[in-house]
Amino acid sequence: MGMVNPGGIPYFILEFGDELVYFSPYTVSLFILALVFTIFAVIARPERQVDIVFGGDAFYAKETSLAELKIRRFMAIACGFASMGAMVTGDLFNFTLFISLVGICNVGIVAAVKNRHVQNAAYQYGIVALSATVPLFGAAALIAATTGTLSMVELWSNAALAVPLVVKALLVLGVMGEGMAPFYAAKAEMFRAPGAPYVIMCSLSSLLIFLRVIEVVLVI
Amino acid sequence: MWQEYSIGLLLVFIAAVIAFFALVVEKDDLHRLLLLDLVEVPSLGIIALLGTDLAEALILPGLVVGIAELLALSQIYVTKEGLKERKVQGLNIEVIQADAPLIISVLLICYGVILSGFTGGGVAGLGVVFYFMARGHREHFELLEMASGISWAIWIFAFFVFMFIPEYWLLALFMAAIGILLKVIVKMSLVGTMWGDGNG
Amino acid sequence: MIIQRISRIISNYEMIMPIFAGAVTLLFVVAIFSLPLPYYEEQLYPKTYDPTSPLNPYDRGGPPFVQIDIKEQYPENSPTAGYVTSYLTPLSWYMANTTLYLGTTIVGHPGGILDEILYNTRGLDTVVETTILFIAFAIASYLYRKG
Repeated sequence: MGMVNPGGIPYFILEFGDELVYFSPYTVSLFILALVFTIFAVIARPERQVDIVFGGDAFYAKETSLAELKIRRFMAIACGFASMGAMVTGDLFNFTLFISLVGICNVGIVAAVKNRHVQNAAYQYGIVALSATVPLFGAAALIAATTGTLSMVELWSNAALAVPLVVKALLVLGVMGEGMAPFYAAKAEMFRAPGAPYVIMCSLSSLLIFLRVIEVVLVI
Repeated sequence: MWQEYSIGLLLVFIAAVIAFFALVVEKDDLHRLLLLDLVEVPSLGIIALLGTDLAEALILPGLVVGIAELLALSQIYVTKEGLKERKVQGLNIEVIQADAPLIISVLLICYGVILSGFTGGGVAGLGVVFYFMARGHREHFELLEMASGISWAIWIFAFFVFMFIPEYWLLALFMAAIGILLKVIVKMSLVGTMWGDGNG
Repeated sequence: MIIQRISRIISNYEMIMPIFAGAVTLLFVVAIFSLPLPYYEEQLYPKTYDPTSPLNPYDRGGPPFVQIDIKEQYPENSPTAGYVTSYLTPLSWYMANTTLYLGTTIVGHPGGILDEILYNTRGLDTVVETTILFIAFAIASYLYRKG
């Protein structure tokens, strides 16, 4: 290993053919965070939303149907696994695929709610996530073409392999597109969807993939 | 420095700029979805310019991700617009109403199973689509979901065989081929059979 | 306030697509100006052409079940890569023996090298890819059935 990995020296490297999965101090911390929240999603009960009528005692409790609960929990768990994968993978194309998986799981968590506002928000987010695959896959292919490898381990151990800056920018923009949900949910359009632990999975997975892409861009 | 690779990239980047600019100005949701399909093309172009066998192996996942997300998004679109079910009737052609679709479909499915792998899935899926088109369709979605899940599990198992007990690679290869066969059949047979809310 | 106005535009979820597409457009314009990019000559899995072979452009040589040399990233991790050079179904076998253009048709299942990459050396990619399909299908069929 010629260059130092800013994420620390890997404890161990799992080998899946051409694709290495490496556990360095940085990736392990993110991996454990994703794991903990996935376990939360497995055991948590969904929140029940209550609308209180202003100036009176009356309130409406919104019920979440069992089918909806199940599909959203499934999506949240899948999202957790996808985030875990994205945290530790050491292959660039594999990384972009995991990011796309996180994106579509986030769409799924939101889209399962049968409410027009929520569905509309999910649709808008979904088309962003789909268009974000263009810079993502484009960046991975450009890296393969300019350096001859997709393995992050190769890229950081061989100083001669330099990835052009614009390609790194494409990669970051693609990850931003896939993980955009929590940013434009500032207006809480998406959080009107009942079921707290699952929606938190959206924000958490986006945060995690942003943190990981920083490491990736520094490493390659 | 301007090799063929960079000239190709120039063309693809220009195409990407045009396609994304169209997305900037487009306001209608349905047209955005259609444009997205177009936008996928430059991304495949960038991968293809790699020009190795690896490029082909990367195009397949890239393509599949695009198709999968389009499937989910179009269903979200249908639900959000509240488009009600439009009855899909069997085609009103004499030959199709006889036993022909059944025979042709069985032939296609058998041949697809022999082919196995991605191509086999395509051929067998065509058989199922043809049958659904000719007969109209209703139930069976639970069955398709189950087949999709099983094929996924077969695939994962094959992957672990490849990685951890490589001496059984032939077994793993055939399991992977069967997994993708089931998967592609299911996906193909879904094309055009979902419409509106199932509960209508 | 300009920040207020910007945040109002961004908070409208109808605007998110134009904003993101605009950013990508700009970045691709920058990418055009950063051309030409260098092409690394020593690529993995290089393509070879043999115009006299009916399996062209998928012919990688060698009969099935005899290991050929594949240029992968970590050869020590995939000891069995290179066994599946190509397998042909009866119909495609017939076509391979009668025409030179089997490789250009869909019945010429390109098996071989692509299967090696997709299933074996880069198997993890395909696992994630099928999972994406699975999730997308779950979303669509949930909306369709439980709608």
